[in-house]
Amino acid sequence: MNDRYEKIITTLILFTPLLFAVKGGYLQEVSGYLYLFLIQGYVAWFLYFKCGQPFFGYSVTMAIGAYGTIILTVMAGWPLIGAMIISSFAASFVAVVIFLATIRARGFYVSMASFLLAILFPRLIEALRDITGGRSGLYFTGMSDFIDDKYIYVVVILLTAVIATAFFWLMETKTGKIFTLISENDRLTQAVGINTRNYKLLAYALAGFISGIGGAMYVNYTGFVSSVDIEVFTTVYIFFIPLIGGSRLFYGPILGALFVILIPELLVSIERYLRILYGLIFIIVIVFLPEGLAPYFRKFIRKIFVKLTS
Amino acid sequence: MLLNGTITGLIMGGILSLPVLGVAVIYGITGIPNFAIGIIGVFGGFLTWYFLSFNIGFAILIGVVACFAIGYIIQTVLLTPISERGGDSTLFFIITISLGFVFEGIIRSIFPRPNISLELPRIGTITIAGVTVEYFKVFALVFALGTLVAIRLLEEHTEIGKSWQATSQNLKLAKLVGIKTGRVFSIASGLGCALACVGAIFWGALYNLTLLSGWDLGFTGFIIAVVGGIGNIWGGIISAMIMGMVMSFSGYLLGGMWQSVILYFIVILVLIIAPKGILGSERSL
Repeated sequence: MNDRYEKIITTLILFTPLLFAVKGGYLQEVSGYLYLFLIQGYVAWFLYFKCGQPFFGYSVTMAIGAYGTIILTVMAGWPLIGAMIISSFAASFVAVVIFLATIRARGFYVSMASFLLAILFPRLIEALRDITGGRSGLYFTGMSDFIDDKYIYVVVILLTAVIATAFFWLMETKTGKIFTLISENDRLTQAVGINTRNYKLLAYALAGFISGIGGAMYVNYTGFVSSVDIEVFTTVYIFFIPLIGGSRLFYGPILGALFVILIPELLVSIERYLRILYGLIFIIVIVFLPEGLAPYFRKFIRKIFVKLTS
Repeated sequence: MLLNGTITGLIMGGILSLPVLGVAVIYGITGIPNFAIGIIGVFGGFLTWYFLSFNIGFAILIGVVACFAIGYIIQTVLLTPISERGGDSTLFFIITISLGFVFEGIIRSIFPRPNISLELPRIGTITIAGVTVEYFKVFALVFALGTLVAIRLLEEHTEIGKSWQATSQNLKLAKLVGIKTGRVFSIASGLGCALACVGAIFWGALYNLTLLSGWDLGFTGFIIAVVGGIGNIWGGIISAMIMGMVMSFSGYLLGGMWQSVILYFIVILVLIIAPKGILGSERSL
């Protein structure tokens, strides 16, 4: 399967849950939630795995999109779409500021700065609970004031599919190829006369914006956000989505999101042991399957295909 | 308030300096940032709590030895082999967070009440310049400083200490002169986890031990170590004392909610302004 077919198949898979909108119910509810995290998963796939930027503040940019939308709409009386876009720009701004602030540092220090921000942010939300509601959170009607819940679900699915497809397309352009080059060898890219700083800035701005849009959609879909939803582990889980699924293949994050978001749903009965299972699986995948689950899934599908055709 | 805040800050800094020392020892020697040591330390704290009804000394020993063994085993079985395969800091960050998940799950499944308070004897109180402080808290502070001196002496004057220094400074050369670097790494990791366990025991005796305090101790230990210059033991202690003061005074002035916000904010600023910490790092991340 070459890249082109893989991209087409991935895009088709991304649209499939639209079928759940017909019947509604549990599958619709869960898949909508899964897709909201898949948006963040694709942001991590793009920024960390494709552009090589060590950023761990996904829960922060997502939270800025979510809280910004509620605060601007409910407290400042802005129109919904305007509030969503401005909040996403704010998320983009924060991502860029983190990049610029840590530009002197190298490697792991950059990851640490954004990771510490991910620890700090829910505590800040908690401390500002008069405005943000802290752990009790904020409720939001948002899009459901204008359209039926079913259509909000459709918007979530379409938005995720469009974002993923846009990322696939971007990676094929000249800019995308420079991103790949930077992730492979930053110094070499600089040596051939490319201003890597500007490209990294673009990558952070884009990732922050999309993550913010994802956060804004999150509150529209769930109707609620609290400091618990944006705990530091949210950023860890988001990062695990492309890592577990596999970052090389386009559908890797889909497998990762299925794994990271669906497993707790399916294993509610053994919730007490879930963290042990999670931790062990993460370690096993990282140590023994550094390419993630996707290549094995591809082999499995090929085997089935060969059997069926023979 | 000034004196009260200073004393509280010093004691808080003293307790926090134990996991900080744990992080500094592990990172300084193995070069691996271990985010799981807080939760492993708290696991030891829970074990101590479980055996407390038998005998205090025995209970503390069980917790500390178990943590040493856990640190030793995870280093030998998991972290050293990955390090030899060329794992970078980000990979260790992810793996140690996953390890933290495993130990959090173990605590959750073994101990039915994941919110405990360790009832250790409080000895009595002492009045310093009009401020009454429990002896136990003073003991915690003295213990932390004593541990630092002990580690320094161990490092300077013993065979194993010298092999730590050699391994930390030049791994290949250390291997070449016959130092069993794998064993040195494992002992360092065990020692780091044992220190985190002592920190958790003090924390559990003065405040409460929950699943969250495991992550809190680990993350706080790590960020304080970063401010001091990760891997730099003196920097870690100075940083722990400063951060203890920051937490104490921000708690007094702004309320408990702002303590960690101010703490993390300062750490992010330090990372931006002086990425190698206030005293510089002996290793480069």
